[in-house]
Amino acid sequence: MTKDEAGRLLHAYVDGELDSARSLELERHLAESPALRAACERLRDLSSAIREKADYYPAPASLTGRLRASVPAAPVESAPRLRWPQWLRPVAALAAVAVLVWIAASGVMRPSENERLAQEVLASHVRATLSNRLYDVASSDQHTVKPWLSSRLAFSPPVADLSASGFELLGARPDYVGGQPVAVLAYRRRHHLIDVFIWPTESQSAARTLTRDGFNIERFARNGMSFWLISDLNRNELNDLAALLADHSAAP
Amino acid sequence: MLPHLDAAYNLARWLTRNDHDAEDVVQEAVLRAYRFLDGLRGEARPWLLAIVRNSCLSWLQVNRPADVAGFDERAIELHPTDQDGPDVLAARGLDRRMLNEAIAALPAQFREILVLRELEDLSYKEIARIAGVPIGTVMSRLSRARRLLAESLRAIANASESQVNK
Repeated sequence: MTKDEAGRLLHAYVDGELDSARSLELERHLAESPALRAACERLRDLSSAIREKADYYPAPASLTGRLRASVPAAPVESAPRLRWPQWLRPVAALAAVAVLVWIAASGVMRPSENERLAQEVLASHVRATLSNRLYDVASSDQHTVKPWLSSRLAFSPPVADLSASGFELLGARPDYVGGQPVAVLAYRRRHHLIDVFIWPTESQSAARTLTRDGFNIERFARNGMSFWLISDLNRNELNDLAALLADHSAAP
Repeated sequence: MLPHLDAAYNLARWLTRNDHDAEDVVQEAVLRAYRFLDGLRGEARPWLLAIVRNSCLSWLQVNRPADVAGFDERAIELHPTDQDGPDVLAARGLDRRMLNEAIAALPAQFREILVLRELEDLSYKEIARIAGVPIGTVMSRLSRARRLLAESLRAIANASESQVNK
């Protein structure tokens, strides 16, 4: 900042319109130059003299009265509304849109409970397959698997060795689906892996089959337990396993 | 917009320098502003003042063209100021009437900017919007307005001093 610039920016400085960086720079000039300080004082004096002593003409009552009479009642009442910060309008509009989107997302657009569970079951199954970590306890013996799960979960899932029917029990792992800990039984049929997710439920529901990302999912609820089966196995064979599990859960 | 009526009238009164004309211009401007309420962008006060200001200038152009001749172009010759001379403004006893006359005698664009800045306490940005000029023009006009006013106050003070001394 040159001396001339400092002189020019003095008005903006006195008016509080200078950014802080240039204010600091100008203050350095002020500290060095008595002439600039004197000019600054004169400006402040002039400014305060105008503010204190110049006439301020408020609107005369006659004008206010005439305007209130000629401007319809509505704008007089709406006048205070104009003081509402204008930036609030787009903000309010955005907020309204956000609320609508949120309502739509949480209501209409939110995936159903079952769809969400299907996605979680699918994710768990794919993760286990990809990481080749299908079970935490490896055993084909239901009397080993069931107590192992019971000791880790707040419930005791039915565990069946169905190797006689062609479904080999590999083991089990606990997982977390639908906001709760669940039991996952891992079965194998030929080279196909099958995960069976089991958690307690109050309701009963008939078997439903769905397909997600090429995996077949079969779900049903019976005898206080919800069963979700997922595999790349064909539907018919997955149905068979579901039927076997349903039978077994009925006769503990 | 009625809450900003005082600001509107004050600006119009300073620009027209006459009560009756200021009332007419403000009444017309406010009614017009009301019709264009939909055009309201940003704060109400600068918006209303911009309408009042333009109404005043149009009115002056028709009724007192000399007042606004070369409003934006007029070059104001500034006499080199005697920075070290006795400072009349430092004396707080600056006469009220003298100050008001000096402001009223300023060319309209300088009067306007002083009123907006000092009496309405508007920011450079708001003034730029009202006057429809860049902020740089607001800054240069404001500094010239203050120099002109200070000079005229000095001149008045010197004149009255020499009268006293006679």
